[in-house]
Amino acid sequence: MAKIKLELVNLRKEFGELVAVNDVSIAIEEGETMALLGPSGCGKTTILNMVVGLETPTGGDILIDGQSVLKVPPGDRNVGLVFQDYAVFTHMTVRRNLAYGLKIRKMKQPEIDREVSKVAEFLSISHQLDHKPSELGASELQRVAIGRTLVTNPEILLLDEPLSNLEAAMRNQMRRELRRIQADTGQTIIYVTHDQIEALSLAHRIAVMDFGSLHQYDTAHNVYQYPANRFVGSFLGNPPMNFLKGKLTEDGGKRIVTSGDSTIPLPAGKLGSDVSVGSDVVVGVRPESLNLAAADDPGRFSVPILAVEPQGPETVVTASFGDSTFKVIVPTGTDAVEGSSISLAPESDLVALFDAESGVRLLDSGERR
Amino acid sequence: MVTNTSNGGASSLGLRKPRRFDPNDKRIIPGLLITPVQILLIVMLIFPFVLEFVISLTEWQPIYGDFWDAFNSVFTQKINQGISYNYLVTDEPRYLQALGRTVIMSVISLCLEFVIGLGLASLFLKKFWGKRVWFTALLTPMMIMPVVVGYTWFMLFQYNGPINQVFGWIAFSPVNFKWLNDATLAFIAVIVTEVWHWTPLFFLIMLSGLNAVPENPIRAATVLGASNFKIFWTIILPNMKAVIIIAFVIRGMEVVKLFDEIYLLTRGGPGTATETISLYLYKLAFEDFRLAYAGSAAFIVLIITVVLINMMLKPIRYQLVEGR
Amino acid sequence: MPDAKFTPFNMLALLAGLIFAIFPIFWMVSTSFKLRSEWVTSPPTWVSSAPTVDNYLTILAPQILLDRRGGTQQHGDEGFGGGKDDAAGGAIADFLNRSAWPGIKGSVIISISATILSIVVGLMAAISISRYRFGGNFTPFFILAGRMFPPIAIAIPFVIMFGPGIFDITDTYFGLIVAYAAVTVPFSTWMLKSFVDELPQEIEEAAMMDGYSRWRAHATVTVPLIKGGIIATTLFIFILNWSEFLFALVLTYTNVQTIPVTLNKYFSATEGTLYGVQAALAMVSIIPLIIVGFFIQKHLVRGLTLGAIKR
Repeated sequence: MAKIKLELVNLRKEFGELVAVNDVSIAIEEGETMALLGPSGCGKTTILNMVVGLETPTGGDILIDGQSVLKVPPGDRNVGLVFQDYAVFTHMTVRRNLAYGLKIRKMKQPEIDREVSKVAEFLSISHQLDHKPSELGASELQRVAIGRTLVTNPEILLLDEPLSNLEAAMRNQMRRELRRIQADTGQTIIYVTHDQIEALSLAHRIAVMDFGSLHQYDTAHNVYQYPANRFVGSFLGNPPMNFLKGKLTEDGGKRIVTSGDSTIPLPAGKLGSDVSVGSDVVVGVRPESLNLAAADDPGRFSVPILAVEPQGPETVVTASFGDSTFKVIVPTGTDAVEGSSISLAPESDLVALFDAESGVRLLDSGERR
Repeated sequence: MVTNTSNGGASSLGLRKPRRFDPNDKRIIPGLLITPVQILLIVMLIFPFVLEFVISLTEWQPIYGDFWDAFNSVFTQKINQGISYNYLVTDEPRYLQALGRTVIMSVISLCLEFVIGLGLASLFLKKFWGKRVWFTALLTPMMIMPVVVGYTWFMLFQYNGPINQVFGWIAFSPVNFKWLNDATLAFIAVIVTEVWHWTPLFFLIMLSGLNAVPENPIRAATVLGASNFKIFWTIILPNMKAVIIIAFVIRGMEVVKLFDEIYLLTRGGPGTATETISLYLYKLAFEDFRLAYAGSAAFIVLIITVVLINMMLKPIRYQLVEGR
Repeated sequence: MPDAKFTPFNMLALLAGLIFAIFPIFWMVSTSFKLRSEWVTSPPTWVSSAPTVDNYLTILAPQILLDRRGGTQQHGDEGFGGGKDDAAGGAIADFLNRSAWPGIKGSVIISISATILSIVVGLMAAISISRYRFGGNFTPFFILAGRMFPPIAIAIPFVIMFGPGIFDITDTYFGLIVAYAAVTVPFSTWMLKSFVDELPQEIEEAAMMDGYSRWRAHATVTVPLIKGGIIATTLFIFILNWSEFLFALVLTYTNVQTIPVTLNKYFSATEGTLYGVQAALAMVSIIPLIIVGFFIQKHLVRGLTLGAIKR
């Protein structure tokens, strides 16, 4: 296991009555990209600010390379922050923007020139070096902001919603660009976003947050496929995860969930200790993890079809499971008619079981990666 | 057909057919609205301006009798035309000194006001007890009328006044500066008075400037390791450039007119030590009653100020006209 | 800035600034309550041992002092300004001469009239410039020109112009009102223009769509909507007019007086400078200014920077 670069230990921040960050503990390995994912106002940016030292935590600790940095002033923590609005120095040329951090570090002019042109080339903004930020487009400003930080060679690079101010086309390009930066520099990166696709496509690990609390911190794969609770399941994925309400029962030694006439079999796995047969539960299953069942599939279940919407190669089928309705994507041409029923089987073990009230994951199943 | 439709549309919007004279016409309204101010300014600005130029070509003084005779003489006789001007710029050191003194006094005052105002404004970015009250207290001087300002400092600068007393406490021995009777000290006294009076305005302008500096570049510089001092010079001040220019131009326009405070404080004395151009013109016109001569001196000042202020307004012209 | 703490050094700087700002005002207040014998002492008297309102009575109600003087004269012969600590122990005639009422009356009449004139004219011009861009860049700067010159340079031709040969309005209220309005109209125009600028033009256009004429739209929509701005501007222009000194000094003799001129006159009174009386008059004259100034605090910058800076 690689070395732990940054560790947040029970980090807490209160603004008066409001708890912005509620005892968050996260460890990030060197060279890893971690995404802080959550709806806006969930405390992601506050965590960034505390890591760089712009805000002082109310409680807890921040360790970089095992050393607490709470007493270290922002400039000496050797972390770089790229602001959401870029915060480019508008009164300076791009060149002076990039050189700013190096001048502060009292680097010699020839060296500064070398470093600046290196980073400008790396980010393909060499042609803009002598222009003012007002002449640049959004994605170029973004590169300037990243370059200004990268040039100082920070141990950890923090990006606050880096793509949110870009238009869609630019966003895809910049996402590729970020992935390249990440691969070429081997930087430890913390990436704040509210967009699950960004998080899933860029990060090794994702920390899902809401209302200041950490809901799950795991690899991108695990967060997506094995959500720790209902919030994580609903926040990631488009179309969203299906939630089927029902009662946990047993049928011939197999656990099943029933609601009305419908039943769904659960995969094998360790069940939480306080769950018993008869509890109200919610089954979470992603639309793309449900396939048409083969006749002999042990996990198959049948549900009545409510609606069929063909969408080119795929058809979205809305089905009911007791009181809940859910969507499933099947290839067009499948024999599905409104009013009839459809037989489905979840992909191997990708069925999650949540407590109906608390939303906590109950069933521990499947292979984590 | 098409024309008809558009007419119908227009009338339904309440637009009437243009008449020969329509007071509602978009071309006439602005003209009518601006007329009063133009009349006022033509009578009270342009006319005096011309008058001043005409009398400056004569040697008229009130005791010479009717003004119109002198006025006519400009056109009928060839008397002394332009002689005053020649004399003023070549043989009247007092005039040129007054001009120079005004500039020096203005520059020193403005710089002091700027530095003190900016310093105080940066304090007001922080949180402390009683902020609103202190804020109002700091603004008070600029609401006081110039005559009272001059008179108040006249009291304070007496040789047996409180300023000497306080200096005495600091020096542990009695101090007897004759503030208003010593050329250098009087010059300082005038500057102190002016700085006291108008630093609040700089303070206000600088505070609004500081508040308008975006926060994130400052935070970005902090993360890059810049010290507060460095941030101030490389981020905050450059971001305030426009505001600082406005402050200097607008105060500059006012400070060169400095008259009331000095008139009450020193009357330009001792000798001519604090004689600004306004004081000099006043003495010339209303103590020596050399109106024509003063007129030519004033006319030169008018020309200089128009040129100078137009130059100064250039950088902020756009901001002033657009108003946002 | 992050973690900006108010350090003891900051505290010291603020304190120094406050003392610098407040001390002269304190001195004026204190002097206005001093006994005559405390006006000039060495070392100076900071706070009167027996505060008196005689200085105020001298300028506002000299009759009371005269009556009291009558009383003391019966007792004998202490003489004026003698043992008794009357604020103004001068000749009896002086008491009456020093009444500030002519000055106050003049200041009130002239300041209010000039302010109204300046605002009305300025408001019309402001709408014309802001809404119709009348005269492009030239007109607004031509108007501004009135504020650029040292007033003394304009006062010289004024003296001739106001004299018997031309308008013959020296030493009249009308003359001063027009002169004051002329020098404050640039401020009122520019300040009001900045308020009109802030009002979206669509509001008036909506009224015109409803069938209002342009005049009516301006009168019933534009003007009421910038009421706050007009009030602020009015008060601001009032401060300027109330403070004006030079024109009153050179364009009046005896008929018309204003407070600043009255204040100046006390300098040349027979028995030297009347510190206490002057301070009392200064107090009377600045109290309206400070109250008005307090109300328009947040508009002061806008006014003094001709609308270039809004807050």
